[in-house]
Amino acid sequence: MKELLRNIVIAAVTIAGFTSLYAQSSERTDVKLTGDEILRLSDQNRNGWTSYSVLTTIMNYEDDELKEQGLFEASIKGMDKTLVKFLNADVKGEYLLMVEDDMWIYMPNTRKPIRITPLQRLMGNASNGDVARTRYAEDYAAKLKKEESVSGVPCYLLELTAKRDGATYKRIDYWVEKETNRPKKAEIYLISGKHYKSIVFDRYEETAGKTLLTQMTITDRLREGRITVMKYSSYSEKQMPEKYFNKDYLEKLR
Amino acid sequence: MSARIFLTFAAVSVIALETNAQGLEYRFSVADEGTLSKLNLTTPLNYQNRILPQATQANDVISNLFLSYGGLSTSLNVDAYATNLAKSNYSYSIRELSYDLSLTDNLDVTVGRKILKWGPGYAFNPTGVVEPQRSPSDPSDRLGQNVGRTLVSVNAFLGKSSLTLVYLNDAQFRSGNFNWGEHDYALRAYTFLNGIDLSGILHYRQGDRLEAGTNWSCVVGENLELHGEFLAKKGSSTLYHEILSSDNPEQIFAADPYTARFDHSNDIFYKLLVGGQYTFENGVNVALEYYRNMEGLSKLEWNQWMKFVKFQNGIQQGSIPVPPEMIGPSRYNLLWALRTLSPRGTMRDYLFGREYYSVDPWSFEFIQLMNAGDASVVIVPTVSYRISEYLSAYGRFTSFLGESESEYGALFTKYNSSIGIQLQL
Repeated sequence: MKELLRNIVIAAVTIAGFTSLYAQSSERTDVKLTGDEILRLSDQNRNGWTSYSVLTTIMNYEDDELKEQGLFEASIKGMDKTLVKFLNADVKGEYLLMVEDDMWIYMPNTRKPIRITPLQRLMGNASNGDVARTRYAEDYAAKLKKEESVSGVPCYLLELTAKRDGATYKRIDYWVEKETNRPKKAEIYLISGKHYKSIVFDRYEETAGKTLLTQMTITDRLREGRITVMKYSSYSEKQMPEKYFNKDYLEKLR
Repeated sequence: MSARIFLTFAAVSVIALETNAQGLEYRFSVADEGTLSKLNLTTPLNYQNRILPQATQANDVISNLFLSYGGLSTSLNVDAYATNLAKSNYSYSIRELSYDLSLTDNLDVTVGRKILKWGPGYAFNPTGVVEPQRSPSDPSDRLGQNVGRTLVSVNAFLGKSSLTLVYLNDAQFRSGNFNWGEHDYALRAYTFLNGIDLSGILHYRQGDRLEAGTNWSCVVGENLELHGEFLAKKGSSTLYHEILSSDNPEQIFAADPYTARFDHSNDIFYKLLVGGQYTFENGVNVALEYYRNMEGLSKLEWNQWMKFVKFQNGIQQGSIPVPPEMIGPSRYNLLWALRTLSPRGTMRDYLFGREYYSVDPWSFEFIQLMNAGDASVVIVPTVSYRISEYLSAYGRFTSFLGESESEYGALFTKYNSSIGIQLQL
């Protein structure tokens, strides 16, 4: 359970990290953009603030039955530092630190940060989250395949291919709304070509003076009936010193 | 002048508290654990359970309250226990009581009693020079029984690096008297370089030798984490039983027979740990570690010590005739001999394994701790069931296996079976 939640939260946080502010999309232009430019444009709008926090609720469903629910507070600084505080009673006091592709978990019982592997964050439904962990413009080369509508909304369809080892997946089909540059949906494929995950970015709302992603749904295509819903709330700008993202500082957090 | 310094310090403290405050946080847990034990009645260490009588039934209720506000934090334990040997009793402990002061964005000071852990090792931590004693067969301290040490630490943070200087002193206040303990200093420099967590450590404890070491951890690919620790010093102030350097194991010592026999030695004594963990795609996590402690007993020394113990036990059981006035001292010799045993391993080479798998609401853990010198083993399978976010139940079995004169085969207990329930708020 803990492992699962831990992993799921990464999904929440990182997806929040890169999708939270697509409403801040850059100006429309009639100039034909390349895939990389669209992706970069999206990345520029990923964060509403340089440094902010968001509450994330994650609900895991199996065959429409809610199996588990977790609440987390994520503090995000820049594009590559995330600190996740676990708020459920059975994991209270735990923290997850992510700096670039590296991760540590701190558990109050052991009193020390432990280095964890990418697969540990990928366990359970949380593997959904790794889709979001990728910083697209840095991790992927984007090719504009075509323009097509998703639920009646005109979108760019980008094909993303990994350009560095740290990238979690080799290929993602990624739909971005033409009008706003908000992500609309993503389809993840394994190297074998097997369809792995689907992400739908369901809801954007006005919050903290910005239009932000407040819900997304991840469907596991390999394990039928497994769906993860992530809800984001209480976005707020938050200034945090660099030391909060130093592994050695974890034991000072409460 | 001193008042001015105090006021300045107080003002800085308040400012730091205001600017870097964390609100009130609490955690509370209470666990009730019942244990049945099968004793090892043939061990010469405690034959027929006569030397240090052990309980076969016990119940332990342990509660822990963690509170923090701003820089102040504390962790308190209350433990109520009953066994088939003693009346119900309780104890309490202040596990931690410390104040963290953030002087600047890059500089922190901590004062008080606190648990610090420095090594990346799972079961053993050669470079954990500032940490409290703990058991390798219970690496996660599941009942929260480790107690912090009294310290002052200064931490400087710079990007992905940090420098920590700690002064520790296990001072005690008893019967109206305050007694300083030994001065203990430790310095650690940490950096995260090319994906590797890397630390260098210096440690000096009054009366001991300067120790120097390093530890590291890194991730390879998607599945594998590797780590290592190394700590070395010239000579050792560890106390050893005199019987280890004697040709005759059949002796009765008149006084405490422990001496620091390598205190003036120029030999290098080191502790080494290498390990890693691998996560399979189905979620099974496997951790393995090898630990070597050159301050531990060699196989020959262990055998010599065991002969000594058997000799004393023979006297106690009457199979070795001695004058009646020697029976009492022999009993003391047997009790003294037990001080050689260390919960962190008495001999030199150990292997540790842990397999873990979780599928909500169940989780399974299997720990093995092996003395690589005599192949004796402690195995600890645990099954946990998560009843709700707040409540969980578990069953835990600890078995000590090995030849009758091996380290774990000679312990007082053959196995323990525990069931428990834990509430967390």
